[in-house]
Amino acid sequence: MSRLDDALRDALRREAPPEGFAERVMARIQAAPEAVGGWAKWLNAFRRPQLRWATALAAVALAVGTAEVRSEMQRRAEGERARDQVMLALRITGGKLQMTREMVRRIGYARREQ
Amino acid sequence: MAAAAKVVTPDFEVIVREHQSMVFSIAYHFLHDRPAAEELSQDVFLQLYKSMGALESAEHVTRWLRRVTTNRCIDQCRRSKLMPRIGLDQVAEPAIPAGLPDIMLSRALSQLVASLPANWRALVILKYQEEMETEEIARALDMPVGTVKSQLSRALDFLREKASRMLRETV
Repeated sequence: MSRLDDALRDALRREAPPEGFAERVMARIQAAPEAVGGWAKWLNAFRRPQLRWATALAAVALAVGTAEVRSEMQRRAEGERARDQVMLALRITGGKLQMTREMVRRIGYARREQ
Repeated sequence: MAAAAKVVTPDFEVIVREHQSMVFSIAYHFLHDRPAAEELSQDVFLQLYKSMGALESAEHVTRWLRRVTTNRCIDQCRRSKLMPRIGLDQVAEPAIPAGLPDIMLSRALSQLVASLPANWRALVILKYQEEMETEEIARALDMPVGTVKSQLSRALDFLREKASRMLRETV
C-alpha cells in the first residue's frame, strides 16, 4: 500500500451532503409528475381542455371528410355504370348497323346478277 | 380540482438517507462544486425512484446508483467541457517525497483528481472513494478490465507526478 493510495483514500473520503438533502429529494419526488405509461398516459393527456377541443374538431373534420369521400365514390360508381350502359348500347347499335350494311350489300349483289 | 398528494413509500426515504453520502460524494469529487453536486445527486435519486420497479435487491440499488451517478458526472463534464486534455507524454513516475504533511497532500490530490479527464476521474473516485475492485469498476462502467487497469495506472502516474511537483513548490 503506497502513500499515494492512502492519501487518495483520505482525499476522496465520503462527504455528508448538505443539510436537508433527503427532504429536498422527497419534495421533488412529490412535486414531479407521476410516471405513467401506455394507455394511462394517453388518457391523462385527453383530460386537458385544449386537447379535448382539438380532438372534437378533428373528429368532426374526419366525419365530414369521410362523408364527402363516400359521396364522391358513389357519384363515380354511378358515372361508371352509366358509361358502361352507353358503351353496351353503342356496341349493340354498331352490331345492328353492321348487319344492315351486310344485308344491303347482299341485295345489291343479287340485283346486279339478275 | 387539486391533484391528490402522491403517496411515496417511506422505504424510499430510507434508501435516500442510506445512499445520499455515496451519491453526493461521487458527484462532489467529480464536479468540485457543492450546489452542482447536490443537483446532480437529486436528479439521480429522482431517476432511481422511477426505476425502482426494475431493481431487484439492495445490492442492485447500490450498483445502479454508483453507475448512474458516475455516468451522469461524466456526461456533465463533457457537456460543460470541464474535461482537460492530458497527453500521455505528460505522464511520469516520480515518487512523492517522504516527510511532507499529509493534509497538504490530501488537499492537493483532491484538486488534482478534479482536474483529471472525466474517464480517469471516474476510475479514481470509484477505486478510492468506493473502494471498488478493478473488475467491479469495469462492470459498473461497462469497460474492459484491461482498459480500467491501464487507465487507472496512467491516472495514478499522472497524480503522483503532479502531486509531488505541487508539494515541492509549496513546501
